[in-house]
Amino acid sequence: MTDDEAIEEVTDQPRKIKLVRDVPDRLFRAVATAGGVTVLLIMLLVGTFLALKAAPALHEAGFSFFTTQAWNPDGKNFGVAAVLVGTILIALVAVAVAVPLSVATALYITEYAPRRMKKILVGIIDLMAAIPSVVYGLWGFFFLQSRLAPVSVWIAQHFGWIPIFKVKGVDSSHPVSSLTLFTSSTLIAGLVVGMMITPVITSIMREVFSQVPMGEREGALGLGATKAGVIRTVVLPFGKGGMIGGTMLGLGRALGETIAVYMIISPVFTIQPHILQSGAISVSSLIALQFAEANSFGLSALMAAGLTLFLMTLVINFAASSVVARSRSGASS
Amino acid sequence: MRSRHLSVLLLAALSGVLAVLVGPGLPPADASSYTPITGEGSSWAANAIDDWRASVVNSGIKVNFAPTGSVAGLTGYANGSDDFAASDVPYGIKGTTPGTPGRGFAYVPDVAGGTALMYNLSVGGKKLTNLKLSGSTIAGIFKGSISTWNDAKIKADNPGVALPPLKITPVVRSDGSGSTAQFTLWMKKEFPSVWTCGEVSFFTQCKNYDPTVQQAKSGDNGVAGFVAQAGNAGSIGYVEYSYALQSGYPVAKVLNKAGFYVLPTASNVAVALLKAKVNTDKSDPDTYLTQDLDEVYTDTDPRVYPISSYSYFVVPTALQNGFTSTKGATLGAFVDYALCSGQQSAPTLGYSPLPINLVKAGLAQVKQIPGAAAKNIDIKSCNNPTFSASGVNTLAVNALYPDLCDKTAATATCVYGKPVKGSTSSSSSGQSDNNSVGHHSSSTDNGSSPTTSGGSVPSAGSSPGSSASGPGSSSSGGASGGSNVVSLLNPDGKTACDADTGQCTALAATPVDYTGHEGSTFSRWAIWIAVLALFLIVIAPPAVVLLGRRSQR
Repeated sequence: MTDDEAIEEVTDQPRKIKLVRDVPDRLFRAVATAGGVTVLLIMLLVGTFLALKAAPALHEAGFSFFTTQAWNPDGKNFGVAAVLVGTILIALVAVAVAVPLSVATALYITEYAPRRMKKILVGIIDLMAAIPSVVYGLWGFFFLQSRLAPVSVWIAQHFGWIPIFKVKGVDSSHPVSSLTLFTSSTLIAGLVVGMMITPVITSIMREVFSQVPMGEREGALGLGATKAGVIRTVVLPFGKGGMIGGTMLGLGRALGETIAVYMIISPVFTIQPHILQSGAISVSSLIALQFAEANSFGLSALMAAGLTLFLMTLVINFAASSVVARSRSGASS
Repeated sequence: MRSRHLSVLLLAALSGVLAVLVGPGLPPADASSYTPITGEGSSWAANAIDDWRASVVNSGIKVNFAPTGSVAGLTGYANGSDDFAASDVPYGIKGTTPGTPGRGFAYVPDVAGGTALMYNLSVGGKKLTNLKLSGSTIAGIFKGSISTWNDAKIKADNPGVALPPLKITPVVRSDGSGSTAQFTLWMKKEFPSVWTCGEVSFFTQCKNYDPTVQQAKSGDNGVAGFVAQAGNAGSIGYVEYSYALQSGYPVAKVLNKAGFYVLPTASNVAVALLKAKVNTDKSDPDTYLTQDLDEVYTDTDPRVYPISSYSYFVVPTALQNGFTSTKGATLGAFVDYALCSGQQSAPTLGYSPLPINLVKAGLAQVKQIPGAAAKNIDIKSCNNPTFSASGVNTLAVNALYPDLCDKTAATATCVYGKPVKGSTSSSSSGQSDNNSVGHHSSSTDNGSSPTTSGGSVPSAGSSPGSSASGPGSSSSGGASGGSNVVSLLNPDGKTACDADTGQCTALAATPVDYTGHEGSTFSRWAIWIAVLALFLIVIAPPAVVLLGRRSQR
């Protein structure tokens, strides 16, 4: 009995764990935390700054800022309706070009390419990402534009019945004379931006595809799947989150692309859904075009446009990260 | 072991180099007398300002300048963040520039230039180089009311030329620019019935802007680059003349009040600006000291290029916003240089030198800068290429007159070679200019419209100091069998142009006289050492790693 009592006196308690952090550990924690907080703070400050600077213009325009198409801050008649639509159109063309190209490239690199080829291709794609955007802009303006115009003419002739491919003002009796109608278009700007976002999307997709578990691949092969079957049933479903995330990141970059678009487009301040027609606009190129000669109110209006783009990009990136986080592959990417 | 040894050596070498670079520092040349000054503004005049800055730095005058655009310059000056500004447009243009600033200011003319109308047009398979346009036609083209090249109005300006039924694509600036402001000001003043948009900095804000009619491009380079693309036949754009020269494409001859079609050459612009005034009516603060070009537009001298204008410096007239009299001394010396000797380089850079009236007006304004050395610059020692040491306005006397074939109502069969006055005409059937101030010529003469029979170049070499066909001009238009290769050369004949893009590259830079100081050998060495150091920083780490790997094997 006495033995039992003695045992009962010692109550079963978990040992108190005392966390002792030594100096290097604490230092490292502090540095890492400071880094994270700083990034958040900078984002917040950028947003606040834009909002403060944009306030006079937004106050003046009110809700019509989102419905007005014209951009004439001096005449107090300005809004982002046309500019935002233009931005989205260019980005959509870019994504439409870049995503299929990226998926194919990433699949080739991870699934089909021999080792040597793989290395070379990865290097080239990294190089593509390193080319400054002004170089893409120069290429688009001096090289691509004049060569793409006949292609646009062909598309307009054969697919002109589809509304977005319609081009107004074409003189069919004198086709050469209307070639300039097909320059400086949303399509050309979108193509150039598409070239710029391809490497970003490709490297994210490649990373995800390379993490497909070997066991699942072998399982599919063991069940008699062909290579294409493995890709269709294992690789693509596993990489879905990464593909969406990569596309969204590319879209975010396409929305903000400035200098290449600035060099190619001929600005238009009405909603212009005809992507082959001369005339396009984007928020960032509008800012670049008008910044130097804007007076203080014009600057405020530009800031308001910038704020709109900032918020839009933020939303898209958040959406992208939530999609990536929810998917299987996203956990590791 | 070996690799570590090597890296230590390299590190030592690097640190040595850095010590040399950072250590003693360069003794400033004559900086004792001049305080550095800062300005910003006009990108139109930036090439000239940069040239002057480089030239005066050896005298110890340090001028910082950022080509941020005219309106940005005016704003920066008004805020007090700049010591001076450069601008193509004055304060107080409604809806374009900020209102009159609170601090004292004066406008000083800095450099002049012509707004050229560059075009891309072929007639019968050959590049047209002798396009003539009257002002109202130009206004109609840019408004969009004249939409094809075979319009009756254009035909009337170019008798006998078989103009094609091609659509006209006017190319304008998409960004805010002083060129747009000056071009639209001219149209507004001269052709108010055609041009109803007024004076604007942003062409895209004009109600006449329609993206299916006009193409808007950023910067002079963007406009010139668009017009110069082979596929964009039928386009015409307005640019500073130097950009048209570089692109290798011809510019239109514009009708002046005397009834002559003239090119925007340095001489023609300088003659035009003899009539430019600085508005000295103090009663109206909005226009006080601004440029008054009304008489330029209506000048009846046959040599005048009507779309001529000049750009200003905005200089302080009071000690405010951190402007000190020592800074005033620097600014005064810099502006004095710019107005006199600095004008020598204007034609080479594609501008026009300021004529005597504007230099005199400018020098008078410089005296208002507090602290500027009160030296009365003798107009005789000014060294400006438009007037001589004796004060005679050489420009007005010597500038050649245009050819009678460039007069209105000249017949289609007119043969070039008879000037209005004198023995040599300044113009020919092509793009050449035979004046001694900023002369240039091109080989596009032979590509002129096929109906004007055999454009003859005026007798070569008879004008002082110039050769009619230019030293380096090679004719290639005829040789390449209808492939429309145009090789318009700059004054020195040292540029080559890509037939595809129309972009030109300088094969050799124009020589610049640079009187170096004795002490500059050290700085040259320092530059080389810095280059070497940078090279080492890039090359050394991978090299060390590579060597290390090898030695381990």
